[in-house]
Amino acid sequence: MSHDDDFLDASVPEPLDEASPSERTHARTFADLVDKSLVGRAPAAMSAEDRALLEVATVIRATRGKAELAPARARSIVEDVLRGAVGAAAAAPAQVRSIATARSRRVAPWAVAGASTLVAAAAVLALWLRGPSTVEVVEVEAEADIPTSWTSRPADPLIGPIARAQAGDASARIDYMFADRLDGYRERRLTVAGRAAGGQGGTR
Amino acid sequence: MSVAFQPATMAELVEEQRLVEEAQAGNLDAMRPLLERYAQPLYGTVILPRLGDPTSAEDVLRDTLATAVEKIKKFSWQGKTIYPWLRQIAINKVFDVHRQSKRSRRLADAMAHEAATESDPDSLADAQLMADEERRVHRERIDDAMAQLQDRYRTAIELRLVQELSREDCAAQLGVTIGTFDVLLFRAVRAFRKHFGGAAS
Repeated sequence: MSHDDDFLDASVPEPLDEASPSERTHARTFADLVDKSLVGRAPAAMSAEDRALLEVATVIRATRGKAELAPARARSIVEDVLRGAVGAAAAAPAQVRSIATARSRRVAPWAVAGASTLVAAAAVLALWLRGPSTVEVVEVEAEADIPTSWTSRPADPLIGPIARAQAGDASARIDYMFADRLDGYRERRLTVAGRAAGGQGGTR
Repeated sequence: MSVAFQPATMAELVEEQRLVEEAQAGNLDAMRPLLERYAQPLYGTVILPRLGDPTSAEDVLRDTLATAVEKIKKFSWQGKTIYPWLRQIAINKVFDVHRQSKRSRRLADAMAHEAATESDPDSLADAQLMADEERRVHRERIDDAMAQLQDRYRTAIELRLVQELSREDCAAQLGVTIGTFDVLLFRAVRAFRKHFGGAAS
């Protein structure tokens, strides 16, 4: 038998007997539990002794007092029950399949796998029967030499190594590159040689 | 304790029979008015007084209603309300809880004693009559246990648990400090528990 049961089954003092500190502590704890129970917020965790006493208090309240189920709570419980029952009933027919349907569902993955294997085998066979094809090598006429300034090119040769002291002067370098590219563009678009080379587009 | 539903008239019985037959035909939603009508008396009269724990009582009510919906096709209409059938399901569920939890021995013993002496459901066809009778039996047992308490303990229980006055008001009415009232109520409930369990066993 637990200590709680010992306390519960011990004789109850007379109303005017002095309470021990331990009993006062128990009484205070129980009073708090009754407080919470009256507002419907009794904690789930409590000692076995407190639970036994609180159950007795609740029985008294249920029979003599006002311990009732709120109408909204009752409706919510009914709603839950019906939703569960109707959901289960609706789900039940989906569980039942005809024998033909069940058989076809069982065979379907194997049928798909077999068809895929056949297609793959046919493709391999066709490739093997076709043999190696001849590759025609077409000589491409070398492009005529054009000035480097007309072509797309890296800017590194133009800028060169950047000294640490000038690392922050990027705008000057961008201006320099822009001017260089603009020169090439003008030469290709505006000069006779450029027009003769068909320089309608930008740089290559 | 307030009454959550009124005695069934003949028209209501006819309507109840129609709803039951509709539910038995597969329209489970037809049970909604019946479940809403009897949820409160089942909870307040049958389940909570036997369990003493509101949370467990709600669970048992939910299980009871779910079982009723599940087994409605087995219910046989015999010109009485469906309430006695629901009540019996609820009592069985309460016993299950006591068996599983192995706690509240005194309440379980008290309940077993009461179950042996409870009224024959067939003699109380009307749900309201059954609930009233059950409430009367519970109340008599509570009153018997209360009568064995010392006046001060009985007053403490009346003020705090029946009238639901605050601790401050209870202490003021008894002319003691709140701490002393806490001790009084603590002892009063312990004493009540002894008499309540003793009366049952």
